[in-house]
Amino acid sequence: MEIRIQGLRRMFPAHGKVIRALDGVDLDIPARSIFTLLGPSGCGKTTLLRCIVGLEVPDAGEIAIGGETVFSSARGIFVPPEKRGLGMVFQTYAIWPHMNVFQNVAYPLETRKLPRMEIRERVRRVLEFVQLAGLESRPATRLSGGQQQRVALARALVAEPRVILFDEPLSNLDAKLREETRKELRAFLSRLHITAVYVTHDRTEALSLSDRIAVMNDGRILEVGSPRQIYFRSGRRFVADFVGRANLLEGRLRALAGDLAVVDSEVGVLRCAAREGLATGSPVTVCIRPENIRVPPPPEEADANRLRGTVESLLFVGESCEGEIRVGGRRLLVELPAEGELAEGGEVELGFAPRHALLLTP
Amino acid sequence: MRGPVRSPAHADGSRALTGGLVVLVGFLTVCPVLLLLLGSLSEGLGAFGRLTLSKYREAYGDPGFGVILYNTFVFTVGSAAVCTALALFLAYLNTRTNIPGKFLFRFLSLVPMMVPHILFCVSWVLLLNPSNGLLNLLLREVLGLASSPVNIYTLPGMILVEALLDLPIAYLVLAPALSAFDATLEESSRVCGASTRRTLLRVTLPVLRPAILSAFILVIVRSLASFAVPSVIGIPGRIYVLASHIYRLIATGFSPDYGQAAAVGTSALAASIVLVVLYRRLTASAERFVTVSSRGFRPAILELQGAKLPLSLAVGLLSFVLIALPVLVLGYVSLLPYSMVPGAKAFALMSLKNWRQVLADPISILALRNSLLLGVGGAAMGMILSFFVSWVIVRVRSTASGLLESLSFLSFSFPGIVIGVGFLWFFVFTPLYGTLWALLFGYIAAYLPYGIRPLTSALVQIHGHLEESSRVCGAGRLTTLRRIVLPLLVPGVVSGWILMATMFVRELSLSVVLSRPGTEVLAVQILRFSEDGLWGRLAALGIVMILISTSLVVIAGLVGRQRMRAYGLEGA
Repeated sequence: MEIRIQGLRRMFPAHGKVIRALDGVDLDIPARSIFTLLGPSGCGKTTLLRCIVGLEVPDAGEIAIGGETVFSSARGIFVPPEKRGLGMVFQTYAIWPHMNVFQNVAYPLETRKLPRMEIRERVRRVLEFVQLAGLESRPATRLSGGQQQRVALARALVAEPRVILFDEPLSNLDAKLREETRKELRAFLSRLHITAVYVTHDRTEALSLSDRIAVMNDGRILEVGSPRQIYFRSGRRFVADFVGRANLLEGRLRALAGDLAVVDSEVGVLRCAAREGLATGSPVTVCIRPENIRVPPPPEEADANRLRGTVESLLFVGESCEGEIRVGGRRLLVELPAEGELAEGGEVELGFAPRHALLLTP
Repeated sequence: MRGPVRSPAHADGSRALTGGLVVLVGFLTVCPVLLLLLGSLSEGLGAFGRLTLSKYREAYGDPGFGVILYNTFVFTVGSAAVCTALALFLAYLNTRTNIPGKFLFRFLSLVPMMVPHILFCVSWVLLLNPSNGLLNLLLREVLGLASSPVNIYTLPGMILVEALLDLPIAYLVLAPALSAFDATLEESSRVCGASTRRTLLRVTLPVLRPAILSAFILVIVRSLASFAVPSVIGIPGRIYVLASHIYRLIATGFSPDYGQAAAVGTSALAASIVLVVLYRRLTASAERFVTVSSRGFRPAILELQGAKLPLSLAVGLLSFVLIALPVLVLGYVSLLPYSMVPGAKAFALMSLKNWRQVLADPISILALRNSLLLGVGGAAMGMILSFFVSWVIVRVRSTASGLLESLSFLSFSFPGIVIGVGFLWFFVFTPLYGTLWALLFGYIAAYLPYGIRPLTSALVQIHGHLEESSRVCGAGRLTTLRRIVLPLLVPGVVSGWILMATMFVRELSLSVVLSRPGTEVLAVQILRFSEDGLWGRLAALGIVMILISTSLVVIAGLVGRQRMRAYGLEGA
């Protein structure tokens, strides 16, 4: 494990109350992978990142990076950020306006007192890597948003740190540039084989960039897994809801049979994907993602759940059509083909496979 | 999601830094106040043996004290009223009308930095004193009068000069409020059928009331602390206010009574502190009150039409009176053996005799040297302290740093002469008494807010990430201060330093208490010349003083412009 975090706590006093920004976080971040902390704003993800880098001092717990303890409340250890040898890309990029590109990127090497020639060579190499070669003498104030982001990346990489941290590095870019930069960043990071910890509240960013994702809320880690596990196999209601659009139906587990679970739900009996650790009779939430609901269900899926409903509304959004279908007392969100033949008010049959009906616990 | 950021401050050095600064700044600001109180309760300078209220009985039981209080009230409130009205008029003209020559207004706000207050007062005395004021002589000749028509040595005279001196301060408070004024408030009044005048009276002025009130209070504080006008204009006319009364108690007569001076000083200090607290509360509410448009559209500009010419003339005259007149008068007087109306006779008598005398006068030369030393070196030390204090105030958010902020702004409400008396009580116990160090400590204590304010506002604009990323890049706290914070603040530090230097070079009210033979400074020397009626030498030395201040202000302006060019402090 590259980074090992145990029992981390951090509290802020605010308006007479105490906010638990980190409420007992245990986390292992494996080496040479892109690890994302995902969560809504205020969930503690940036605080966790700042604790790892040393800009924030936790109240309790332990952090070890590469086997070396950098913080331990019990043993009274706190290694200041400048001694942790990490790289970080800030949300604002934090490019120093009184320096040019070269001076910005060379700074971490200068603080490490490397010889001049080596500094020049390494800055040249890293600028080439982030495709900014030739801009060495450009003043920092005359860079575009995308260029600033790359300078920040180059500065974080130049000293070849064992871990590089990103604090919502794409949130300052406009939508189109953000998409391009995301792909580029993914390409850079996979070529580097470096440990990266990435903080974001954007689920698309998290799903597309990461090797592993930890979803956070209220200062706690709810779930850790690969993007697919998080998206398709999540067991937590909050996680499933946060990482994608979801229809959540309340119900009670009636029976378990192999990899099938039978649930009495708001819209009738549903066959769902079974899960360990659930007792018959316990309350569950069934999650069905809109894109997994078919209208009408294809005939070859014999075991699919089939429901009848009325089309309440259709919203054309370009690549697809978002439909709301009333089933019993509930409205289900359904993703339909853009060129469908449905009409509002029409009676339809819809269906979804049991493997697409996930059982969630709070 | 970023909560109140507690930097790792607490884990390394900056708790110690904060603590050290609290002690240092606390010493500079609380010590004179404490000793002033102790001094007022003692039996004599250095005699703290038994606490007594006798000095208070003597000071406040004096039958003349009622008149002094009355004078002080009329003087401060009068100058505040005149000054605020004038400033409001100018600010309105500049921000809301199409009056030509707007560059003059910016210039007007810089002038008092170039012309020290005492010289401004002296030039008015030279123009309007009843025995040989130039304007009076001229009017007598032209109108064939037997006696001088105008006497500057009166309360109205004092009020007029003080109001002109404080004009820039009031203007700087009012102009931003006026230019940030949301014009739609006025426009809707016009749409509702109100005339321009009615809109001005019923909408514009009421909305601006907090800003107007804070300008008014600020000028009261200033004139309460003012020493130049009470000493140069008030004392010859035997019109005493608190500041000049304190001066009379310690500097004139056969036995200076420092205990009584301290007892009188406590009430001036208390009044000043109350007013500053009121002012700070008002400015806080003014920010809520005045509707600042975030879209930054320009307020509606009023076409002046027929009033344009007379108003321009009025502004032009005011600019002349404020900017050119003092320098012209001093320059003219410095060349003459005695005061006389310009004419053939005057030109025939002109010589550089006064200049030669001043430049050969060892005390004047010593004063010049001391003032330059204090200005350059003292301001440098003041700025070093300001730099660390500002950094702690902005970046280290703790109880201690909040205390530091309050402490460092406390001296903003100190009337110089009062705090001078407090420091005097302190310095007599130390070997610093009668040295330039005593002046230096006093100056830094009294002018610290002027160094801190520009730096904190510049620091707030520098995003915390710029420092944090330096830490992550492997730089320690000190390296980060040196390589990131300081370079970004250089323009602010340099212009703050120059501002402080101009204030130190012309400092009068503290110096008049703390300066001793051997530690004379320019303003005190000017005061001596004025007390002795040596106008020619005074004028020559005054011109030297103006040249020093002006060149400092010009350099500050150039540095400021360069900073704009280099990087608009958009920082992050």
